[in-house]
Amino acid sequence: MKAFKSVCIAGFKQTIRDRMALIFIFLFPIMLILVLGWVFAEPGVSTFDTGIVDLGSPQSAATIAEGLDGVIMDEDTKVFDISEKGMDEALQLLADGDLDLIIVVPEDMESSLQLGQPVALGVYYDPSQTVNQQTLIPILNQVIDDIDRGMQGSVKLIGLEEHSLHSHQLRFIDYLIPGILGMMVMFLGVFSAIAIIQQKQSGIIRRLGCTPLRRSTMVSSEGFSRIVIVLIQVALVVLVGWLAFDVQMVGNWGILCGLVLLGTLAFTSIGYLIAAFVKTEEGAIPITQVIVFPMIFLSGTFIEVTSIPSFIEPVVKIMPLTYLNDALRQTMVDGTPLYAMTTDVLILVGWVVVCLSLTIRFFKWD
Amino acid sequence: MSNRTNVIDVSNLYKAYGAIRAVDGISFDVKQGEVFGMLGPNGAGKTTTVEIIEGLRTPDSGSVTVLGIDALKDVREVKERIGVQLQTPAFFPKLNVRELVDYYGSLYKKSVPSSEIIDLVALDESRKVLFQNLSGGQQQRLSVALAFVNDPDIIFLDEPTTGLDPQARRTLWEVIEGFRKAGKTILLTTHYMEEAERLCDRIAIMDHGHIIAMGSPRGLIKEHFAESAIQFKMTGYPGREALVALKGVTDVIEEGDEIILYTGSIPVTISALLELASSRSAELSDLSIRHADLEDVFIKLTGKRIRD
Repeated sequence: MKAFKSVCIAGFKQTIRDRMALIFIFLFPIMLILVLGWVFAEPGVSTFDTGIVDLGSPQSAATIAEGLDGVIMDEDTKVFDISEKGMDEALQLLADGDLDLIIVVPEDMESSLQLGQPVALGVYYDPSQTVNQQTLIPILNQVIDDIDRGMQGSVKLIGLEEHSLHSHQLRFIDYLIPGILGMMVMFLGVFSAIAIIQQKQSGIIRRLGCTPLRRSTMVSSEGFSRIVIVLIQVALVVLVGWLAFDVQMVGNWGILCGLVLLGTLAFTSIGYLIAAFVKTEEGAIPITQVIVFPMIFLSGTFIEVTSIPSFIEPVVKIMPLTYLNDALRQTMVDGTPLYAMTTDVLILVGWVVVCLSLTIRFFKWD
Repeated sequence: MSNRTNVIDVSNLYKAYGAIRAVDGISFDVKQGEVFGMLGPNGAGKTTTVEIIEGLRTPDSGSVTVLGIDALKDVREVKERIGVQLQTPAFFPKLNVRELVDYYGSLYKKSVPSSEIIDLVALDESRKVLFQNLSGGQQQRLSVALAFVNDPDIIFLDEPTTGLDPQARRTLWEVIEGFRKAGKTILLTTHYMEEAERLCDRIAIMDHGHIIAMGSPRGLIKEHFAESAIQFKMTGYPGREALVALKGVTDVIEEGDEIILYTGSIPVTISALLELASSRSAELSDLSIRHADLEDVFIKLTGKRIRD
């Protein structure tokens, strides 16, 4: 235990005293998020595409449409862009991200109001589009209150019945943040090969072999300090995404950390496997790059890979980063699943098993 | 010395790398409290032998007992009680002296306080310097110091003073001598004859995977040379025959343009040599007379100088 602790601390100090590593591990992902986030920022949603579904109270529907239409921001920008839709069509449009909001005017609205009975308007929107949640409902409430007061005097009869729906439309930044996380996990794991080879080449591992330190302690504490670094990265990336771009982490933190650990394990075993076959640092660097760069672009780190040439498809379907990114996205921002989470996890586990077995078979300490 | 117990017992050790027999049937023992030296040119098999004893390599056959423990089986138990300095200092480059000493100390069940270790090799002023920023000599000293970190019973030093300036070398010799006084055992490989003569109680000379001679430095010299050496350069080389025929000469070694005559009687051989020179109008230069030393033993046994 004493040895485990001090090997961890030594490994950690080694990393944080390496300026290049520090820049790469901590500064690089933040810069990437900020730069890409700003460059590709979509204009803030100042206009909500709104669909009004009239189930049989045309007069009320028109009043509401008129009321919403009159809401102006920044002097001349309309907040709501109104169109009338059928129910099914509207829901589809919302799901596709072409509508931001649906207001359903119930059939009995007019008759109920005449009888002085309360009425609920159906409101459908996607709460994961955070800008909606924060601005939409208060504005809507105010508009409805005004209409209510105009119709009824002081009696408040019209209420909102909120329905949340998940649209498939993510902002670029929502897509990017989990991708950056996946990429950093991959870097840290695969590049562990370089560190191991350096230590082998310089004779550090050989010298440690003269002490009673167990190889298993060495490997596990090495892994532990890597995990600490990865978790710091996760916290940093999520924090920057949240502070700078209001990207909310919608899923379960436990699942997120579990996925990150599984990813770290998978990519670290790839790193060890490289170190099992490559003797020199100079030889390892191009190999790690050949592994890492295609994955960044084909596994949907920055942009969704929609149309892949069929001959590359098998490659994409075997890349571990494809599945890590997918799972992270499902967890963090509720992105559309490409694969079921179980598939993602099973394939990552498969990578761990295969690479570790090969490593155990072929890795030599000297 | 002979009634002391053996702390290292090596018998019939073999290790081949492909067709190369790095260690070709070696047996020797090291006794409690002695400084045992292994001498030999590069590739003689010294380092391989030492690394098998340290548990870094597995021999093809043979047995090694260290401190009564089967060193080929209970490797970790042996490692707990030995201290090792390898030829090339290799440590985490971004840890400082103090941190490295603490780090290595933490790997053992018992360890010496780090300040003692640092003082031992006079690195106190550099204790906060990262390993990568130490000078070559400081790295070497730290590497030696780390062999002491677990208060070991046996210390293995592989070319410990290589790359040190004479002052630092002498300091390190004192450290080793102090350690011997404390009753510890040291197994040392070296290129420096002076170092071997000064420090070692016994020496094994290795060549091509064999031990070709073993004994105390004095004993080895006496055994191979009852004589002194006359060393010189000569214009107009008279031929080996003429030199061997000189009175008193027991052996002749030629090294480049340098000639070494070994003789039982210096006055007799010198006058014969001067006569030979004047009769051939040859000139003698760089003439020196000395006692035979380990280097001479080495040349006689292997036909080459140790540094070659």
